[in-house]
Amino acid sequence: MNKFAQLGTDIAKLWTKYGSAYISGIENTLILALVGTVIGCLIGFLCGVLNTIPYGKNDPPIKRFVLGLVRVIIRIYVEVFRGTPMVLQAVFLYYGLPYFSNNSIRFTSVWAAAIVVVSINTGAYMAESVRGGIISVDPGQTEGAKAIGMNHVQTMTSVILPQALRNIMPQIGNNFIINVKDTSVMFIIGFPDFFAAHRSAVGASYLYFPSATVEMAGYLTMTLLASFLLRWVEKRMDGGSSYELVQADQLTMTAGTYSHPDRGSPFDERSTELYSEGEKEA
Amino acid sequence: MDQNILEIRHLSKSFGKQEVLKDIDFSVREGDVISIVGSSGSGKSTCLRCINLLETPTSGEIVFRGVNVAGRGTNANAYRAKVGMVFQSFNLFNNMTVLENCMAGQIKVLRRSKAEAREHALNFLGKVGMAPYINAKPRQISGGQKQRVAIARALAMDPEVLLFDEPTSALDPEMVGEVLAVMRSIAKEGMTMLVVTHEMAFARDVSNRVIFMADGVICEQGTPEQIFTAPQQERTREFLSRFNAG
Repeated sequence: MNKFAQLGTDIAKLWTKYGSAYISGIENTLILALVGTVIGCLIGFLCGVLNTIPYGKNDPPIKRFVLGLVRVIIRIYVEVFRGTPMVLQAVFLYYGLPYFSNNSIRFTSVWAAAIVVVSINTGAYMAESVRGGIISVDPGQTEGAKAIGMNHVQTMTSVILPQALRNIMPQIGNNFIINVKDTSVMFIIGFPDFFAAHRSAVGASYLYFPSATVEMAGYLTMTLLASFLLRWVEKRMDGGSSYELVQADQLTMTAGTYSHPDRGSPFDERSTELYSEGEKEA
Repeated sequence: MDQNILEIRHLSKSFGKQEVLKDIDFSVREGDVISIVGSSGSGKSTCLRCINLLETPTSGEIVFRGVNVAGRGTNANAYRAKVGMVFQSFNLFNNMTVLENCMAGQIKVLRRSKAEAREHALNFLGKVGMAPYINAKPRQISGGQKQRVAIARALAMDPEVLLFDEPTSALDPEMVGEVLAVMRSIAKEGMTMLVVTHEMAFARDVSNRVIFMADGVICEQGTPEQIFTAPQQERTREFLSRFNAG
């Protein structure tokens, strides 16, 4: 018990001295993870849509070539950024650009560099998730959209992607939580995140373990909160399990009803016929 | 009104080495209600899917109002907007309510205003008896109701031809009736319809022409009286005898 009391006083000591640094670290971590995940998702959706544009033997050669090239480029992007550590990607971008361009091209803020690295990294993972999400939507949905004349973009934006998004929400949540934790590697380019606060705190106080305890508790709180929020968002997306019957005639007083006289009378006759037949069968 | 809306000329379709449709030839006049019957695997659905360009024909022409739409460089989307399709598996958009399902195509493809699309959709949903359910999602309604919504969705696009691909095959017997009733009333309206169906009573009573398909070819076609009372081909007689017996 003695040790726990010791730990408590050490943490208290750390908190009074570096509390604000920890707090601002948490803020930066959350902002970076959130922005990186959102931009990464957008990249992922773009790649997913480009990747699934259908083309066949009957399309002109130019279209087939361009679409084929796009698929190859996306494939390379995914394999490279999914297959290398984010910490090295950060180093490559932050230090590599000025190295090769004699300092003429470089990130002037660590924020920009960190957001770019986290976004393209997340994008590489999301590209595959989105592709999976699109594939998992019933092909009948595409046929239904095609049959009423929608083109590929319209089909994607109004029918397929909303359903794919719902299907990959758990994946997006995964990525967000991974980003909350893995942005800790951004200390390598001097990004002031939650883990950087730990490094500066222990550098001055030598209270390694107590500070790590603060970090553990902090990260766990963030990720638990994120899980909770994501579940809530998913529930919202699913909508209610019931619906309201509309009893009133929606068309009675609609402006413009009388501007289509050709639609009017024959249908009235038909709907009564339908109801009576329907009742008979029921 | 004696004009051909659609002419199918020498339509063939192969999946790999499997030749599913062989030299299909027929025309559709305005106001026609044509039933395509035949046993499973005879190519009925493939024929219909080729007409809507959901399958690319291997060879042959599909002439819609004088223009061959099966060739290269035709705008398949513009053509599909004028040719409605009702599927066996309904294919309602799961992410939308009943009303939104009927509005989406009008807004996105026909560029109608929201108010106009809504009014038009409600009009047709009323006709198929689904007006009370406009706020329901597809997963919350029954199969027969889904199919009625799918019909309203197709009608809301003001199509010139409406294709039905076994619209009642996924429904239990109780629900078949409500969907057929809707289809009857649309036919009475004068809508040009092409119906792939196993409902022989519908083919006999509602359509003005029946096409019997077997093994990827049109075996026999004619008026319902010709096909059902005096079939010329042995295959047709054989096929119909099972229905008459059952």
